[in-house]
Amino acid sequence: MPDFGEVLRLDDLHVSVHHGAAAAVRGVSLQVRPGEIVGLVGESGSGKTLTCRATLGVLPPGCAVESGSVSFGGVDVTSLSRRGWERLHGSQMGAVFQDPASYLNPVIAVGPQLTEVVRVKLGLGRRAAHRRAHELFEAVGLRQPERVFHQIPAELSGGMLQRVMIAIAISCDPQLLVADEPTTALDVTIQAEVLELLRRLRDERGLAVLFVSHDLAVITQLCDRIAVFYAGEIVESGPVEQITQRPRHPYTQALLRVASVGDFRRRELEVIAGQPPQVGEDITGCRFAARCPVAMPECKAGPVRSVPVGERHEARCVLAARAMVAS
Amino acid sequence: MTAAPAGTPPLLAVESVDVTLGRGWRANQVLSGVDLDVWPGEIVGLVGETGSGKTTLARTVVGLVNPKRGRILIEGLPISALRRGARRAERRRGHVQLVFQDPLRSLDPDLTVAEIVAEGLTIRGQTDRDEIRRRVTGALEQVGLDATVLERTPGQISGGQRQRVSIARALAVEPRLLICDEPVSALDASTRNYVLRLLDQLRTSLGLAIVIISHDLSSLAGIADRVVVLYRGRIIEDGPVDRVFTTPRHPYTALLMASAPSIRQHGVRNDRPFSPRQLRRTDSDPAPPAGPGACVFAARCPFAAGVCAVQPPLTAVGERWSVACHRHEEWAALAQSARLGRTDPCPLSSSG
Repeated sequence: MPDFGEVLRLDDLHVSVHHGAAAAVRGVSLQVRPGEIVGLVGESGSGKTLTCRATLGVLPPGCAVESGSVSFGGVDVTSLSRRGWERLHGSQMGAVFQDPASYLNPVIAVGPQLTEVVRVKLGLGRRAAHRRAHELFEAVGLRQPERVFHQIPAELSGGMLQRVMIAIAISCDPQLLVADEPTTALDVTIQAEVLELLRRLRDERGLAVLFVSHDLAVITQLCDRIAVFYAGEIVESGPVEQITQRPRHPYTQALLRVASVGDFRRRELEVIAGQPPQVGEDITGCRFAARCPVAMPECKAGPVRSVPVGERHEARCVLAARAMVAS
Repeated sequence: MTAAPAGTPPLLAVESVDVTLGRGWRANQVLSGVDLDVWPGEIVGLVGETGSGKTTLARTVVGLVNPKRGRILIEGLPISALRRGARRAERRRGHVQLVFQDPLRSLDPDLTVAEIVAEGLTIRGQTDRDEIRRRVTGALEQVGLDATVLERTPGQISGGQRQRVSIARALAVEPRLLICDEPVSALDASTRNYVLRLLDQLRTSLGLAIVIISHDLSSLAGIADRVVVLYRGRIIEDGPVDRVFTTPRHPYTALLMASAPSIRQHGVRNDRPFSPRQLRRTDSDPAPPAGPGACVFAARCPFAAGVCAVQPPLTAVGERWSVACHRHEEWAALAQSARLGRTDPCPLSSSG
């Protein structure tokens, strides 16, 4: 049912890699509401980055959306033309990535790189664009906006560059910010500042954020809702408190056991036995079954559906489904 | 400085080392007065931000960088004083081995795992093929890899396996000291724990001393005995990991810990003494003392005062625990009381 309270809706999204040879994202469904921070978490190769690239319409060469839909503001954008995407980018959705330096022109000061965006997208004049840049640089917590305006990327630290990228991404007041591992390359003290900034932007501007990270600890600190990816599927999704306090999928439980714990005490470091399946590997039944400590014969019998296990909380697990039927 | 455990000399002794990279106007002092001792069977965690000199310290210890001042001693031998042939001979012995962050880039992509692990042995002058074979399989066994990977290249194995191959390569020459530069930061959480557990087992079974450079404090807390915090080329805190991580004595160590992401879980106390905001400078704080001699952290320190115009020396504050802060006895109380009002308007769950 279309709910107009959603900024972004993915329905049964399938993405293939290697020119259609392998399925890397297998039926991902996801909703992001205004002012909501949704985190995608999973191991490398789990499909979280491809999902967010498909959302942005910037899949790498050889990758394609095979089926399913990406709806943005109630409109299906899956088959949008290049021009159509260009209209969306910046003004409707902004994006930041892991390595900000590689998305900026190294020989042009960062200020003009921002004013170019608002002049083209919003049609602002030179003076107005400069004022806007100043405001945005202040909004993202850059201490000396006028000075930063005239500096080239090499003169700025990683944390400052990421702030500049965020300023550019939100320069045209988009509804959605897609952030793919934006803090992975930063020092922990700077990472904490950038996470605070994203939260503040959400609170002040009602910005919806789709945040991708391999670090569950970062995701649980920032996000309202979490989607856990495993081998191309979302195995569990729900509000952050539900996921951390009452995880229902054995993989989520395992991820929580191996994640960084905040009490800094010496403890036995746990591991998840086994390896994830290869990208594109076809498996009958649950894709986590081979590594699952509580797997049963029926887990491998046929496809496992995602079932509701609570308020906006779903898990793709035979046991979770059985527990819901029993209660 | 820290007191030696009864009787045994340190395996590695770094004595007031200064390192300058570049020459002339480009010269940049990267390490200043670094003192560090590491004993056999000990795991020392080295933490600090980008540019703090962690990697330069590692490179200095293995002799890839020459200190401008100070000495490096390995098992009592001042290797920093060795030149040319003597230096090369020492390096060939392989008593100190480096493990790098990104095995995909540090391992030769054209060599097989067997060739990679055997390389150090050949360089050391081992020529007996059977002996090499025996040692290679032995080293791989120690890191939990079997013979099936022997003929594969680094590109054909998983990230976790690759990092284990790097460790096996280092172990093959029977080192006394292993220096791991961000060994787990490119790995997923489960693989990260596997590799850290492996390092922990190796120090027990082989009596290795291990220095782990990492920015992930909570994984260090899981295996390290001591933690050394570097800030802009100076050691600002050095102490037992359980003491430093429960009651940090330097404001920067406290800020690092307050900023480290973690998960709120059932049954785990997660209340940190401070939120990051209590430990950051704000515009209303009085201007910190500046100038070439000032404390390296003063410019970022909300507790900087007049005394901080002079760099504080590392001072003992407990058993094998030292800190370089003039106000190490006062700042914690200041952070708790006077700054209590400055709470986070949109707190992250870190303080919960």
